[in-house]
Amino acid sequence: MGDQAMPVGANMASTGFKALGHARTFDRIRRRDFLALLGGAAAWTHQAGAQRSTMPVIGYLCPESPVPFASRLKAFHDGLGETGYIVGRNVAIEYQWADGQYKKLPALAADLAARNVDLIVAPGGAPVALAAKASAANKTIVFEMGGDPVQLGVVDSLSRPGGNITGVSSLSVEVSRKRLEFMHELLPTAATLAVVANPTSPTANSQLENLRSAADFLGVGLQILQASNEQEFEPVFSVTAQKSAGGLVFTSDPYFAFRSGQLAELAQRYRVPAITQSRDFPVAGGLMSYGGDFAQSHRRAGVYAGRILNGEKPSNLPVQLVTKVEFLVNLKAAKLLGLEFSPSLISGADEVIE
Amino acid sequence: MVRQRFRGLFQKYLLVFFLAVAIPLAINGVIEAWFGYRDQRARLDQVLGVQATSAAARIHGFIDNITNELGWLVQLPWTDGPDEGRRTDALRLFRQAPAIVSLALFDHAGRERLFVSRVGLNRIDSRTDRSSDPAVVGARSARIWFGDVSYHRGSEPYLTVAISGNRPSVGVVVAEVNLKLIWDVISAIKVGKTGSAFVLDRPGRLIAHPDISLVLRGADEATSKPFQAIRDAIGRARAGFATGRDVEGYAIAAAAAPVAGPDWTVVVEQPVSEAFGPIYAALWRTAGLLLAGTMFSGLLAYALAHRMTEPIRLLEEGTERIRAGFFDHRISIKTGDEFQRLAESFNRMAAELALAQEHQERIARLKRFLAPQVADLVDQTGDDSVLEGRRTEVVVVFCDLRGFTSFSAGVTPEEVMSVLSEYYEALGKVITTFAATLISFSGDGLMVLVNAPVPVKEPALTAVDLAVEMQRTVQELIVCWQKRGYQIGFGVGLASGPATVGRIGYENRFDYTAIGSVVNLAARLCASAADREILMNDEVAEAVKDRRSRKKMGNRPIKGYDEAIPVFGIVFDAPIQDVSRLN
Repeated sequence: MGDQAMPVGANMASTGFKALGHARTFDRIRRRDFLALLGGAAAWTHQAGAQRSTMPVIGYLCPESPVPFASRLKAFHDGLGETGYIVGRNVAIEYQWADGQYKKLPALAADLAARNVDLIVAPGGAPVALAAKASAANKTIVFEMGGDPVQLGVVDSLSRPGGNITGVSSLSVEVSRKRLEFMHELLPTAATLAVVANPTSPTANSQLENLRSAADFLGVGLQILQASNEQEFEPVFSVTAQKSAGGLVFTSDPYFAFRSGQLAELAQRYRVPAITQSRDFPVAGGLMSYGGDFAQSHRRAGVYAGRILNGEKPSNLPVQLVTKVEFLVNLKAAKLLGLEFSPSLISGADEVIE
Repeated sequence: MVRQRFRGLFQKYLLVFFLAVAIPLAINGVIEAWFGYRDQRARLDQVLGVQATSAAARIHGFIDNITNELGWLVQLPWTDGPDEGRRTDALRLFRQAPAIVSLALFDHAGRERLFVSRVGLNRIDSRTDRSSDPAVVGARSARIWFGDVSYHRGSEPYLTVAISGNRPSVGVVVAEVNLKLIWDVISAIKVGKTGSAFVLDRPGRLIAHPDISLVLRGADEATSKPFQAIRDAIGRARAGFATGRDVEGYAIAAAAAPVAGPDWTVVVEQPVSEAFGPIYAALWRTAGLLLAGTMFSGLLAYALAHRMTEPIRLLEEGTERIRAGFFDHRISIKTGDEFQRLAESFNRMAAELALAQEHQERIARLKRFLAPQVADLVDQTGDDSVLEGRRTEVVVVFCDLRGFTSFSAGVTPEEVMSVLSEYYEALGKVITTFAATLISFSGDGLMVLVNAPVPVKEPALTAVDLAVEMQRTVQELIVCWQKRGYQIGFGVGLASGPATVGRIGYENRFDYTAIGSVVNLAARLCASAADREILMNDEVAEAVKDRRSRKKMGNRPIKGYDEAIPVFGIVFDAPIQDVSRLN
């Protein structure tokens, strides 16, 4: 059934995995439809009404606004579809949008918990998962984040998450040191590289620690810059440009990831070579990105949501790590900056934007 | 009782017919099921075996693909300087083989020359001596070396693959492979409609399964245990497939095939319900046939049993009717078989019984006035024409008691009836002995006919002997009676001559009688005879003159005769009476 939900010839690797319960769920749903049809045309409207009222409801806690999140949401819907759930037909979603104000997340999570939702999905980073876990502990939670859920205390272990929370991690946080490495490889002569962290991020400290040891290994100095809102973005670029600290490495943070366009625009304006976690950055004109494939992680979150709606226990669903970490380079941006990628960087890139 | 027997027969027929149809069907069904089961098992064995081999080949293809890619990194000998080309190759390899997480390249001395990782930091020319690393040692001795599966952070299964080039100078490449990516291969393997495959490593840990969440817990003993059980069951089955239960407790049939190299086992499984689907269908067919056969045999049994028991019921009814005396009852069975024959036979019997009944009735009638022997004789001749009126020579015997009227007036009726009863009993015996025909009796008088209706050889002699015997018998009684104080005597008269004999009367009341002067004569002689006397006419006396001692009694005037006629007596010895004469 999962196969049918995919476009013909789709790469199986990118579609995540298929739940064992798909076939049965689909059968059940089809049976339900069939029974409804048997009920005849007169009964149909009633049946549809009854079905809507008994439809499972997913509470979707989103740190951003609908527009930047659209691609993630589509991946999530695809994942739900793999388990036989079509939004509006046999599952409903109630959204809570934080619109980039991460401080509002706990209140929004509590609001969702108070409503009659069967499941809370907390995508888009560790802050969302932590807020959901803190404010909606009585609900089943499926998270999607870049950080290490064990280290953040969200789950007990990857294979046995424990409790009523499980989800997907995209490895973005763990690979932030690789971004430093790529930047170092691009600018081997730069003695200092700037690193941008979001002080409000729960993973900021661990990432910085990671980056420091990586900098030591690579023999490069670090300049730590901080930005926790959009107003602080421009100073980061201007300082880097002034101090000519070489390149700018963004730590993994959803707040940064969802503002890739803005960051790319600033990077172009200040002619600063920069690397972020999100592929949106080089696509929007930024230089490089390295991070987990968010389409894969959101899709798998959707599959997990569907499997839990099908009755599987979250404690039996291990936390999944995304297998695909992608490296994108933008040759046009490099040209504008007067830089040239080494053959090894080019050959290692999953996607090269010319 | 009758009803029970009927039901019993019905049940017997039902059982017999049922068994006659059901047993061959059942035997056929069992044989078909058994052979079908064997064929299906053999087919399943073959199919699952092929599936397992094919699945193993695909898993092996996954490994082969990686080792082939890795092989390109150990083509050229190492130089002392940094090798930028190899780094490019290694990074390119990452793109081509997404399952490879990290790569390490070692030169001929076992020093690490390059390490690249998707997650960790790369190391270039660290030249750390790793010559004693098991992967390096293993690859050097076996060219391709596979490590044990390890679970990254207790969840993702990783495999270490090491490959050495065809000469020592090209060094060794060691790669970490994330086995989670076998999912693409394993989930594409379909066994039948709903069957699937999984892979276990040598210790029996789950490393590939269509449900990735099981693989991510593969390090847990609890997760792998049911899968190990299936593998062990197949191992025990030696060849072919085994049946067991999957994680969710569904019955499955499974076969295994080894994956050479990493020494894994691929197990393909198919739900038993699907694997044995054809045999189940055959069993259902057989069951359906059995059911239809049972119904058919039931109907057949009912029809046949009814066909058999219905004539039996008719016969029973007929028997009952006959027993009740309805001899005109006839049974109508038109089955054209033995039953019809039996019914016809029964009808014939009923007709004969009717005849016999009629016959019996006639005999009973005859016996009233004929001696039983005579009655039988008449009966044996088959018709009673002998009783029809005719003129013939007869001997008529009359007898009566002397002094009976005065005696009966002086005693109680009981005594009168007692005397008469003894008297007739004694005379009846005598009449029967001589096969004479009792015509009538009234009071103490009795009329007997000899030579009619059945002729006898010597009627006169028979009649004389009869008279003598009567006298003797009655005289013996008289002795007894006299002892009781009754004054009774007994006299007999007989005469022979022509008379008209025949049956007279109406409806069922018939008598046989003789009409003629001889009757009157015999009656007069009787009346004239004294106690202990037997008087006869000359015709009788003439017939017995040389054989019985008769005595002339002289001529006596007899009422109705103009002249006195000669009368004869007969000498016989009889008990002496105490009282001398009466009348």
